[in-house]
Amino acid sequence: MRFPIPALLLLLGAAPVLAQTPTGGSWREAVRRLRDAPRVQLAHGAAKSRVRPKGMPRAARRLTTAAVESAVAESEPNDNVATADSVALGDQATGVVNPAGDVDTWSVDLVAGQLFSVDVDAADAGSPLDATLALLAPDGRTLLSFNDDFDGFDSRISYFIPASGRYYVMIRAFGAAGAPELTYAINFGKVACPLVGAEQEPNGTPATASPAAIGDSVSGEICPTDDSPAGDVDYWAFMARAGTTVELDIDAAQLGLPVDPVIALYASDGTTQLAFNDDADGADSRLQYSIVTTGTYYATAADVAGFGNPFPYVLHIRPITPGPGDPITVRAQGLGHPLGIAVGSTGDLFVGEVTGNRVVRVSAQGVVTTFAPGIPAPLGLAFDSFGDLLVASVDGAVYRVTPQGQATRFITDAGIPFWIAVAPDGRIWLTDLSDRSLRRYSPTGQFEARFDAIAVGGSGPGPLAIGPSGEPYFSQGTEIWRLASGQLQRVLTDRFIIWGFAFDAAGNIYAPAPVAGRIQLFDATGTIAADTFAIGPDAPQAVAFGRDASGAPVARVFATESRIGQVIEVNPAGVAHVGLSVGYVPSFTVVAAAAGLLGASGLSAADQHYLDTVGNRNGRYDVGDLQAYIKMAEGLSGPRSDQ
Amino acid sequence: MNGSRWIFAVVAALSVAAGCSNDSTSAVAQPGTLSLRLTTPQADDGAMTFAVSGPAIDNATAVDVSLRLFTRQADGSTLVGAVVGALGNGVVVTLQVPDVGAAARYTARVVEVADRQNVLRASLAGYALTVAP
Repeated sequence: MRFPIPALLLLLGAAPVLAQTPTGGSWREAVRRLRDAPRVQLAHGAAKSRVRPKGMPRAARRLTTAAVESAVAESEPNDNVATADSVALGDQATGVVNPAGDVDTWSVDLVAGQLFSVDVDAADAGSPLDATLALLAPDGRTLLSFNDDFDGFDSRISYFIPASGRYYVMIRAFGAAGAPELTYAINFGKVACPLVGAEQEPNGTPATASPAAIGDSVSGEICPTDDSPAGDVDYWAFMARAGTTVELDIDAAQLGLPVDPVIALYASDGTTQLAFNDDADGADSRLQYSIVTTGTYYATAADVAGFGNPFPYVLHIRPITPGPGDPITVRAQGLGHPLGIAVGSTGDLFVGEVTGNRVVRVSAQGVVTTFAPGIPAPLGLAFDSFGDLLVASVDGAVYRVTPQGQATRFITDAGIPFWIAVAPDGRIWLTDLSDRSLRRYSPTGQFEARFDAIAVGGSGPGPLAIGPSGEPYFSQGTEIWRLASGQLQRVLTDRFIIWGFAFDAAGNIYAPAPVAGRIQLFDATGTIAADTFAIGPDAPQAVAFGRDASGAPVARVFATESRIGQVIEVNPAGVAHVGLSVGYVPSFTVVAAAAGLLGASGLSAADQHYLDTVGNRNGRYDVGDLQAYIKMAEGLSGPRSDQ
Repeated sequence: MNGSRWIFAVVAALSVAAGCSNDSTSAVAQPGTLSLRLTTPQADDGAMTFAVSGPAIDNATAVDVSLRLFTRQADGSTLVGAVVGALGNGVVVTLQVPDVGAAARYTARVVEVADRQNVLRASLAGYALTVAP
């Protein structure tokens, strides 16, 4: 089954929430979020945030406008734009939502460029009204903004006015309720940000950053104004020494507001973004970063959308203990949401760019070149037993890419192939998001079996790797499961969503937890061995062990960092074992295969098993298998024999 | 020459003649090729392994380029081989030998056969290999 991209996007958008995970979302949703997430570059416009100490009274977060110009009482009927009551900026209007279904409409003349704010005070003043607010365009029909609950049950809209004209504000009771006691006051004004606390304004640039220190918890408010309608950014400067690992943790949603803050870390030049995070902790954000150079660093706080209602926040700048894989090293950057990663037979890294629609090759020197263009949103990557790269694509196909970079659609009968791995017998495993299953294919791509994995719960089978015993392991979100002898078995449970993990030769699992901004290490029994093995600069998404120039696994671990477009390497001094050989790559020629059949030594049991697998699978290596291998090796991807 | 000398001379002459006769046999050994001929009851053979025993074999080649031949000297008197391709009744392999006159001293047997779908033949009944000039 092949999904057209529009249908797939629809599926992605309709994905159910993963309830037990910290941030929610199925693999489909996660992929959509990855793909849709902007390459993070925070705005550098003038910021006018004002300090608001943590724990400030709710009343202090009311409409930050100028003093009330005049009070206006509603005059019924005012249920529609034709009968709207007129107010002006600075007015406070009062009314009652009564009877049930009552709508009060207010008109206000606004000028392009104003950051208009309309704020309800009802529940906050003791009214039983749970208000909803809608802002309509001058045509009286187009809904520009809607808000239900912002300050408790009270509503608020902040909106940048694109064109001068008469706008309309409608207030209703949630659930179309109505009663004489559902009274309200509604404040019309421009957003202004009162200076509160110790935050030093302006702090919208590195040069004007407010001072802070590691160990501080600082407070501020994200507050777009007419001067910064595109969004407010607060900069905080702090000194950090090489070898330090810092955590930036912002609390805003946790303060009870329906807001979505983001944080970032910038280098000493103030412009090089080192790390970014959104939604590590519910809607709040957190990141960790290993400092490699002593200097001044800049933490920024902003709203994810860059506009909307002002909100206060607390930013914690904490020192944390690094893991054995710290500090990390950036091996490549500037990539378009790199996700899947595989290591080639000469040690080069192959990385799929979700938004670049290509697979790139990253050399040992960090040189990035296009390897296979034109593959829509590459997801999981793996090398097959013939040295071709298999790439699961969001377009519903698994592509096979020759060593020369020629890509062809290879497996097309999976609904939404997501992650892919190749077992020691050369068989291909993939996870199919369309029906939450694992699918197994022959080394040449013939479908063999489907294993339903709905029972594992979570988001179903996602990132996939082959374990030491040759069995497929997969993450369903916060758990890793394996399929052994046809039975699904839980291997481990984590606090965080685990993405593209990898095994070392001892069976340890290196598990990237992007929401936690780190790579974790589990031992072969599934017990956590290092809760923080390495701290990624942002959100490590998939890991892979390196290989040397001869193709042998080495004790080096690489990871993709999707949102900041990087490929990193953890400190090899902290990697205890070489990687588990990924997949199965025959190292013999056709001639050697024939010689082995005729009694010569040189073929291992695994080789003979492989040959039987690609042949007639009768349990032993025979002339039918040799025939199959010759056809496959020399007929699919060009001559591979040295004859 | 007395009688005993004549007898000796005759015996010696006969001995020389006999020796000359033996030398004459070695001298006429003819290097050349022998054909390994397959008899098969099937029409879709795709691969076969075989063994040829007997005097030395200098070389073996597939009878045409559509066939892939792999050989290995198993021991001093046995050559084993695998031939892959569309097989049928007739010559499949040519053997280069030092003496085509010794053809009768070679024996050949089919070891395994697979059809063209890689499936191993469960029975080799009806299969035969012969070595002949």
